[in-house]
Amino acid sequence: MNEATRTELLFEAFATLADTLVAGYDVVELLQSLVDYCQELLEIDSAGILLANDRGELEVVASTSEANTLVEIMQLDADAGPCMLSFRTRAVVSVPDVDVDAERWPDFSATALAQGIHSVYAIPLRLRETTIGTLNLMRDSPGELNYQDVRAAQALADVATIGILQERTTRDAIAIRDQLQNALSSRVVIEQAKGVVAETGGISMDAAFARIRAHARSRQTPLSVVARQLVRGELRL
Amino acid sequence: MSGDPFRVASDALSGVGERVSDIARPFVRFLPVSGASVSTFGAFLSAETISATDDRAGRIDELQFDLGEGPCWDALNTRRPVLETDVANSAEWPAFTRAIQGENVGAIFAFPLSIGPLEIGAVDLYSDRPGSLTPEQQEQTVALSAIVSRILLRHAVAGAAPSPTSTFSRRLVHQATGMVLAQLDTTAEDAYLVIQARAFSDNRSMRDVAEDIIERRIRFSALPDEGAP
Repeated sequence: MNEATRTELLFEAFATLADTLVAGYDVVELLQSLVDYCQELLEIDSAGILLANDRGELEVVASTSEANTLVEIMQLDADAGPCMLSFRTRAVVSVPDVDVDAERWPDFSATALAQGIHSVYAIPLRLRETTIGTLNLMRDSPGELNYQDVRAAQALADVATIGILQERTTRDAIAIRDQLQNALSSRVVIEQAKGVVAETGGISMDAAFARIRAHARSRQTPLSVVARQLVRGELRL
Repeated sequence: MSGDPFRVASDALSGVGERVSDIARPFVRFLPVSGASVSTFGAFLSAETISATDDRAGRIDELQFDLGEGPCWDALNTRRPVLETDVANSAEWPAFTRAIQGENVGAIFAFPLSIGPLEIGAVDLYSDRPGSLTPEQQEQTVALSAIVSRILLRHAVAGAAPSPTSTFSRRLVHQATGMVLAQLDTTAEDAYLVIQARAFSDNRSMRDVAEDIIERRIRFSALPDEGAP
């Protein structure tokens, strides 16, 4: 990617994220856009976002692939891995070679390596004293993320975090928690909808999600609304 | 306001909770019947009278289990209500009809209890005098039977098939729930129950069953014998 294209794409990413932040926006859709832009803009192979639920556990809310293999890796990461560490310490955690750190997080490392993931970069989604989750960037080869990518990823993560926490003060901590919990709850109905479309269309979960999302985008309807229609049988895709 | 008897009955059902021994009572509240019983039997649950409003209702259930014939069997097998409006002059179930001669039963109605492919059991209703149920009463009984099916199934699998605890397992179960609800053309709640029941009867975890569903190794269809004469 040359520098001009990259800059253009970055502008587009910020513009789109900003657009998503108008009143009544869908948190899942916002975070899905964020991981998609990360994959497009950065030298990475996959990305995912985990949000803390009301019990303080991290849950995958968006990822570049809806294949269960990737989701499982990130969920293991959330239990004991760089992602969990980043959330706890509220700092960036870079694991340039998963193999080297394998003993530290055996379950996560073994599963990640088995799927060909060799380096991980975890960025906390944090604004001042509030940390709502992490952005996870993964690559199929070992090595540090280059400086430009680190900056771009940090900027994208910040925009999304600020967006979610916008106009809210610590006074609204409960409102924020509710909103994030809603995003995670809407994941339930999105998963069910994926199942419905996978079954009726005879396709994979990943393809089912792509179909649902394309429909949501073309109708400018939140993902969770489309998902609910599918689960209730009011819509067929 | 006296209130709609059906509504009163269905409200009573939603309040049954864990006390399934009372589950037959709401039926006698809105139907012109003398007694009711609810029992589980079939391929999935063991034969047992769960609730009976009186001794006679209990005996009618037991006789059908002992003899292996009767309206409740036919109701579950065909998944349709069976209405015997005049037991004394019935040509159906000769052994059963003979056995209940002393009970002074005029009419018997049996309604199937099932969820998707799962056989749960039946509701047996009897009346002292011959007679039938109006189409509206039948519809209402079917609606109430659907609620009873869910209560009984939840009761049967409670604790035996614990819900998945890990986030990733839950995600798989949600996906499988979507597939099953499409297969059975039902609600997410029922599809979840069907998966739970399958895990219970196979003595496996819900996650394992969910993975089999997602990998298309397990498929559900509403009626396994659909299309049979």
